Amino acid sequence: MASERYSFSLTTFSPSGKLVQIEYALAAVAAGAPSVGIKASNGVVLATENKHKSILYEEHSVHKVEMITQHIGMVYSGMGPDYRLLVKRARKMAQQYFLVYGEPIPTAQLVQRVAMVMQEYTQSGGVRPFGVSLLICGWDEGKPYLFQCDPSGAYFAWKATAMGKNFINGKTFLEKRYSEDLELDDAVHTAILTLEEGFEGQMTADNIEVGICDAQGFRRLDPSSVKDYLANIP
Amino acid sequence: MALYTVADYRTNVGAKTVPFIPYDDNGGSLVAVAGDDFALLASDTRLSTGFSIYTREQSKLFRLSDTTVLGCAGCWCDALTLARILEARMQMYLHEHQRPMSTPAVAQMLSTLLYYKRFFPYYVANLLAGLDEEGKGCVYSYDPVGSYERVHYKASGSAGALLLPFLDNQIGYNNMENVTPEPVGIPKAMQILKDAFISAAERDIYTGDSIFINIITKDGIQEEKFALRRD
Amino acid sequence: MSYNGGAVLAMKGKKCVAIAADKRFGIQAQTLALDFQKIFEMGPHLYVGLPGLATDTQTVHERLKFRLNLYELKESRHIHPKTFGNMVSNMLYEKRFGPYFVEPVIAGLDPKTFEPYVCSMDLIGCINEPEDFVVAGTCTEQLYGVCEALWEPDLEPDDLFETISQALTNALDRDPISGWGAVVHIIEKDKITTKTLKTRMD
Repeated sequence: MASERYSFSLTTFSPSGKLVQIEYALAAVAAGAPSVGIKASNGVVLATENKHKSILYEEHSVHKVEMITQHIGMVYSGMGPDYRLLVKRARKMAQQYFLVYGEPIPTAQLVQRVAMVMQEYTQSGGVRPFGVSLLICGWDEGKPYLFQCDPSGAYFAWKATAMGKNFINGKTFLEKRYSEDLELDDAVHTAILTLEEGFEGQMTADNIEVGICDAQGFRRLDPSSVKDYLANIP
Repeated sequence: MALYTVADYRTNVGAKTVPFIPYDDNGGSLVAVAGDDFALLASDTRLSTGFSIYTREQSKLFRLSDTTVLGCAGCWCDALTLARILEARMQMYLHEHQRPMSTPAVAQMLSTLLYYKRFFPYYVANLLAGLDEEGKGCVYSYDPVGSYERVHYKASGSAGALLLPFLDNQIGYNNMENVTPEPVGIPKAMQILKDAFISAAERDIYTGDSIFINIITKDGIQEEKFALRRD
Repeated sequence: MSYNGGAVLAMKGKKCVAIAADKRFGIQAQTLALDFQKIFEMGPHLYVGLPGLATDTQTVHERLKFRLNLYELKESRHIHPKTFGNMVSNMLYEKRFGPYFVEPVIAGLDPKTFEPYVCSMDLIGCINEPEDFVVAGTCTEQLYGVCEALWEPDLEPDDLFETISQALTNALDRDPISGWGAVVHIIEKDKITTKTLKTRMD
């Protein structure tokens, strides 16, 4: 069978012990649109750039910030189509968990399971690693959570982080700005400021997306509220 | 006490035959307690079939004489018939012997009447309560075909299984430690009986609405009514 | 459900729960053992009773332990009795058309707030989660009758023990295929008391 010829893993070790396929994937992420996540005392914020190549694009129709369950949300840097697949899988895993246990999936559990999927794509035959890094935020039992998930399947818990284009500058900026007792509103402000670092052109409510998660659950901010936040930026 | 279900699995019969089902289960529960010089007999007043209630006001007690009361639950038409025949036979006894029948004598006769229909039984749970020849309280419990036994207390009918272990505990002093079993008086027996029915009405849909309690003493038979849940 | 016989009962009290079962194992009317375990410890404040077909009692217990161990390793926390209930229900429904013949009863305390919890379910996992008590096994009618009469809200642990013991023993005495000894667990925040009861042996 023709497909058998490609049913070996495409991710193989180089003589120096590296998996270059994963490094390429990380390069795809680093070349992707920037996204930011910040944990506040009373919630978490996710923000990302959503620039359109042409003015003909219909804005606010295809989203980068997605809800996974009532209390978990997700955003990415890297390749859009790969992200769609992970969103679909994450939503399904969250519902499967609810079916078995009758309670919403803890954020850490979802992250672990999504990471497991991403890891499988580094070792299975006939597939390539995902070209995305994810930021997953959630709210469980009165506490905010923020995780990053990489193409290798590695995952990290952050207080605040940036990914994608210019992520090193973004992180340095966050290191200077971050404090433990940040309020959610201030965190949204900081996230937008971080995106603004190295933003090319004018930032508007039409070319960024913001999602927040707190005791009320996860929601994507509509352009009018994003506009209000932008108005406070000098 | 599920009856049998009539199912016809034949598919190639021409005209549909309507089966004759001679029995219905109209529910109802009975409790009887015998004391030293009294007997209590109580029934609920719900008459039902399946999920529907015919009436909430039907006592299932039949006063057969000044010292004997019969409780009848199950197929109500059988209960009525049985009670009517018993009354007639007691009348015949009265004419023949010039004195009313004693409770133990009625008890024996009831057994005979039930066994007479051994192969087409009365579908009823019977409890007979009254005073015996010495004036002591007595309770007789029956199966539908006439096997009977004199007991101190008994529950039967649709909630028999729910009522009985509670009576075992409270009147029979079963599984009680450091308690001297003493015969219950009327007030305590009444209280236990009401509690038992309240509990049964919680879980048995064929028992409820209210109960009639007959208190049989040498001074005659008193009747008391007590309300239960009606849902 | 009545091949081996047996009964389980669980009750809520004030800051405590109790779960009790008989110890008989028999095949129809023939009693074979007087030390058959129907209640299993699934955590520090979590017990499950599995009356029904004895072989399924043991199999379901093993399979629940398997699922529970995985859950606790994966999530590194103790399971809430309600979540455990959903897990049991889910497992039973997987065998919807060839079920395990057990009617589980779950009793426990919330691992964080120590709130009492009881529930029961049928053999394919339909959960019943009342405020007072749950019964299962071959003498449910008898158990309902006595429990409904004896149980009251906010019983202290000692009174709860007395109530559950009286309810169980008196119900067992009217069931020929349950009884032959009984066991009671009283679950409190920082104490589990296990007592065995002597019952009628006929």
